[in-house]
Amino acid sequence: MKLSVLKTALSFSLLTLSARAAASPAKLDEKQRTFFKDYCVECHNEKKQKGKLRLDDISFALDTVERADRWQKILNQINSGEMPPEDAKQPDAKAKTDLLEALSHTLVTARRALGDSGGKIIVRRLNRREYQNTIRDLLGVEIDVHDLPADGGAGTFDTVGSSLFMSSDQVEQYLALGRRALDDAFLQHAAESKHFKLHTETEKAANAQIQSAMNVIAKRSEPARKWFASVDAAAATTENAAQAAELRKTSESEDKHNTFYRHWAEIKGAPSPTTFGFKDAFAAIAEQSEYEETNPYHERYLALPQADKGSYLFVFRLRHEEKITPGHDWPPGRYTMRVRIAALDNTPPERRFIEMGHPSVPGAFDIISTHQVTGTMTDPQVIEMPVTITSTDDRPFAIREKRQNSREAEVGIWVRYVREHKDWLPPSMWVDWLELEGPLPSETKADIFSAKPVREIIESFTQRAFRGTKSESAFIDRLVKFYDSHRAAGDTHESAIKSSLSIVLAAPGFIYLTEPSQPGKPRTLTNAELATRLAYFLWSAPPDDELLAAGDLHSPAILQAQVDRMIASPKSREFVAGFVHQWLGLDRLDFFQFNKQMFPQFDDSAKAAVRKEVYETFAHLLQTNASLTRLLKSDQAVINGLLANLYGIEGVTGDDFRPVSLPANSPRGGLLGMAAIMAMGSNGERTSPVERGAWVLRKLLHDPPPPAPPNVPQLSRLADKPLSPRERILAHQEEPQCLQCHRKIDPIGFGLENLNTIGQWRSTELYTRANGGRKDWPIDPSGAFHNGPKFNDYFQLRDIIAAKPENFARSFTEALIEYALGRPYGFTDEDLAQDIVKRAKAKDFAIREFIIALATSREFGRK
Amino acid sequence: MNTPLNRRHFLRSSTALIALPLLESLGFRRFASAATMVAPPKRMIFLAFGWGVTRETWFPDVKQTGADYELPQGLAPLAKHKKDITIVQGTSNKFTNEAHWGSTFWLTGANRYAEPGQSFHNSISADQVAAAQLGKDTRFASLQLGTPDAKEQGHGPGLSLAWDERGKPVAGYDTPIMAFHRLFSAEDTPLAQRQRMIEEKRSVLDALGTDLNRVKRGLSKDDTDKLDEYAQSIRDIETRLGKDEQWLAIPKPKTSLHEPKAGLAGRAEINLMYDLMIAAMQTDTTRVMSYRQPVNTVLKDIGVPYTGHDLSHYERSQGDRMEFSQKRDEAQSKLLAGFLDKLKATKESDGTSLFDNAVLAFGSNISSVHFLNNCPTVLTGGGAGIKLGQHLVLSKDTPLCNVWLTLLNGLGVKAERHGDSTGVAKELIA
Repeated sequence: MKLSVLKTALSFSLLTLSARAAASPAKLDEKQRTFFKDYCVECHNEKKQKGKLRLDDISFALDTVERADRWQKILNQINSGEMPPEDAKQPDAKAKTDLLEALSHTLVTARRALGDSGGKIIVRRLNRREYQNTIRDLLGVEIDVHDLPADGGAGTFDTVGSSLFMSSDQVEQYLALGRRALDDAFLQHAAESKHFKLHTETEKAANAQIQSAMNVIAKRSEPARKWFASVDAAAATTENAAQAAELRKTSESEDKHNTFYRHWAEIKGAPSPTTFGFKDAFAAIAEQSEYEETNPYHERYLALPQADKGSYLFVFRLRHEEKITPGHDWPPGRYTMRVRIAALDNTPPERRFIEMGHPSVPGAFDIISTHQVTGTMTDPQVIEMPVTITSTDDRPFAIREKRQNSREAEVGIWVRYVREHKDWLPPSMWVDWLELEGPLPSETKADIFSAKPVREIIESFTQRAFRGTKSESAFIDRLVKFYDSHRAAGDTHESAIKSSLSIVLAAPGFIYLTEPSQPGKPRTLTNAELATRLAYFLWSAPPDDELLAAGDLHSPAILQAQVDRMIASPKSREFVAGFVHQWLGLDRLDFFQFNKQMFPQFDDSAKAAVRKEVYETFAHLLQTNASLTRLLKSDQAVINGLLANLYGIEGVTGDDFRPVSLPANSPRGGLLGMAAIMAMGSNGERTSPVERGAWVLRKLLHDPPPPAPPNVPQLSRLADKPLSPRERILAHQEEPQCLQCHRKIDPIGFGLENLNTIGQWRSTELYTRANGGRKDWPIDPSGAFHNGPKFNDYFQLRDIIAAKPENFARSFTEALIEYALGRPYGFTDEDLAQDIVKRAKAKDFAIREFIIALATSREFGRK
Repeated sequence: MNTPLNRRHFLRSSTALIALPLLESLGFRRFASAATMVAPPKRMIFLAFGWGVTRETWFPDVKQTGADYELPQGLAPLAKHKKDITIVQGTSNKFTNEAHWGSTFWLTGANRYAEPGQSFHNSISADQVAAAQLGKDTRFASLQLGTPDAKEQGHGPGLSLAWDERGKPVAGYDTPIMAFHRLFSAEDTPLAQRQRMIEEKRSVLDALGTDLNRVKRGLSKDDTDKLDEYAQSIRDIETRLGKDEQWLAIPKPKTSLHEPKAGLAGRAEINLMYDLMIAAMQTDTTRVMSYRQPVNTVLKDIGVPYTGHDLSHYERSQGDRMEFSQKRDEAQSKLLAGFLDKLKATKESDGTSLFDNAVLAFGSNISSVHFLNNCPTVLTGGGAGIKLGQHLVLSKDTPLCNVWLTLLNGLGVKAERHGDSTGVAKELIA
């Protein structure tokens, strides 16, 4: 293969150059000319042109890539402090800050304008979520999509076509995953009439295992006790008595059990531990120690009042989980798990939660769901939990008390408790029985299982997989031929048909959402095309029959009725999770580990619940068509028992999220009061006012700071000075390079400092200095927006933000446009965004108004 | 979107006993069976870490250049290889302004904004330039290794370090298990059946191609351009099948490496990837490799309570971060030193070592904090004829691509330019 050398240097162009740059809105304010005149032109003029740069006549319009690149270089030079040079006249801080701010924002605008696709919606493939949902819709099976490469490009939504790539590995994965999905579907179908049920009375296994563990340890340590006795006997002789007493005394001071026996060799006539089968004294002592430590636990366990009727849940040791394992003959599908359970009388509220999941790694759970236990010993409850059995996931399911999700952490919890209380960490809950039953009826369409001619099966499935579009006979011919050759090679009908159909699940007609178009001739989408766009917008899944048969979707009344129906469907949860997660940047919640010692309650279940609060709140507003502005401030929070516990809100129990009225002085109600949002603005240990401030500007106030500039010199002046967190960050503001953005960001972040790393209220912050000293700094949330209003505390800050609903609506609208149209929001969309906001504003920013306005827009209905 | 960890990752568990054979190599058995003795092949390896280094203690003193320089703290674990490594200062990719993208443009030198109408653009990476020439005779033209959550590790957009001729991201294997299976998992299917499977795959591709032609009809140029990715994917599989066919009679190489244990993280993960690279070289499975390394799991592993990005802002006023940042540098250097040990210890058929015939670059587009100038760069290996044992300070803002071009040329890869290169870095040529 010859590699064209030139190509390595030439960039590959996907789009032809266009003249749209002429309309570029990116222009640096002419008043900044003075800055260049005063500090730059002396060296960068017609005659001197240092660095081949002239600034005396430079155009302030950033309307071409070359001009933008040149201005980027100028910005970089000023940011890095290289220009103006040290020996030249220096601008004052204000002039420099203002120039930097103006220039960096102009550059952001320029890049966006120059990168604007001109409203084009590029063909796109299904992203991982959509692929999973589409397969479920088509075959009624759950497929693990982790084998597919991750989606998403340069900070765009996972629906943006230009950022969704394809590779040979991916095509092969589609073939393999498609085959797996078909295998599962056939398995499910074969088991359709069968019913499986497993019921486990927990006490049988529990008591037997504990009894057997007791026996094993007792037996294993017995030689140790025998050896101890022999050493004791030798020590008791008159010859050894004095020395033995001395040894016992020093051993006691070591404060360890049985350490005396380490000195056996110093006692004449004492036998070696090897004669009792131990490697050395340490091995014998260890056996005995384990016996002495665990035996009382085991005995106590067996003596627990209801141990004969159920099992008790512990955090570590004894029964740290209760397992139930379906047989390998159980087909993939949806099942129901049930547990009859009660909290013990003395169990504190925060320990009345169970986690259900796969117990794949010792001490760690692959958590599927979390449940609050409200049953009591006099009145236990039955909790029902939906589970899915797949052909690839682990089979066993288990429940356990909710806790930090690692062996290391649970050992820590146990050991700390035992050390502090000189007692075991008591059991929290009692489990009567576990049950697993199913499968629930699957929703697989029957066409692929039918006894019809093979060609018909393939045709019908292909049309369904291609969302209503018929493929060509050439394609079907090949699939039929493929089937035939498999049959000829001895495959069964089932195996051969699966081989053929799995090709359909990797074909472009399935993987890509395509809409034919002609250059320069935008056209109205067909009903089927519009239905597909709508379905992937609101369900991340293909359209259903009702949508395809709904009539003219370009008619606003019909479309509105369909949008309402689609939102009411449980499938709209896909939109809520997929859109909200990306819009608000919730992926940051997974960026770091939360410090387990500082925030023991913020375990994986809590993390999942705080994320869910954001989705559930949005879903609630969507379902009730409430105002978007309630995400800025609200007298309600949408929470469940677990979150109520985390927030210290009384009177809310159970797993369902529901709106709860808040007292007037509550920090909750709205995004800023949500633990997920605050936790994202931290590093897992301390809060990060900068992250929080920038997030508020980006998401709530529609005033995003430009990206962090490269090559800005750091401040070394502050080395080792004891500074409060606030002083530390304020140091950012000394240099114009930093000040240009941080004067906007930081005050907002400080205003949120009363909410700690996991969003709980606090009034001081404990800060550990480099030299090891610790200090409690009182939190001062007061501040003022840059060139804006002052605020004294969190509540006033929140009010100021809530008083700008249009900014928030605009931020939401732009995200919605990008997500729904599958291309980066561009300048072309300005009018559309304005229209949507205007229309929604007339209805007090009701959430569905945004969606309807977008769905009925020209842009959404055309290609 | 709250996806739990891949459950299947926990499914497999086996011992990760690693014992590399010293001399024996199936690749060379192949050569040995041929009548003529073949010189060991040249190889190219790129190793990238995301968030940069501790500037103050990683770069040698710019006043001490040439062979006589003091290894700074961050590179100290490489002391015994000092004669065999060259540290280059002064290079950068002039177009990039992305302070959080440590790898996206590292090997390409592209201008993100070069294409009007697009918000992102990239061009071919140096490893892929090499792969086009060095990858012709191996089962895999190139091998891309990576880590889950690359964005969190400071690598920026992309699927690996590699970008193809059209500037599209090339996928890689993000866990040792995936890489192991791709490279070494045994083929116990009989030959005739495998021949049939290749034929069958071809008819699958034909069917996919048929549908592609239907779909493309009536689409705009932008759309058909996008669908070309799919067409290219099919062509790539065809090429692979062609290679598989050539290699049909030759069993997939065996390695003494066991199937990696699931869930390995941090230093163990990097070490294992290094071992996989050595195994791939021993079996001559590929000659061009790149690796986007994890940082966060390494930090966790060595007891650093910060994540990569957080740590990269290690100004002294913020407590212990600088110390931890230095600890990370040392850990990374130590891992590299271990890799070099093994490369030197593994002999080729002619008595030279893997080290002698390979060239490696270890570095990042991010220097430290938000600095994108003076990209940290360690070059090593005898394969490209570069000067080793040196501390070179190139003139400020020398294109990093000049270095890549020098390495490519040194390996015998014909290229006159790469990315924004302005020429070769003469200082590097021995």
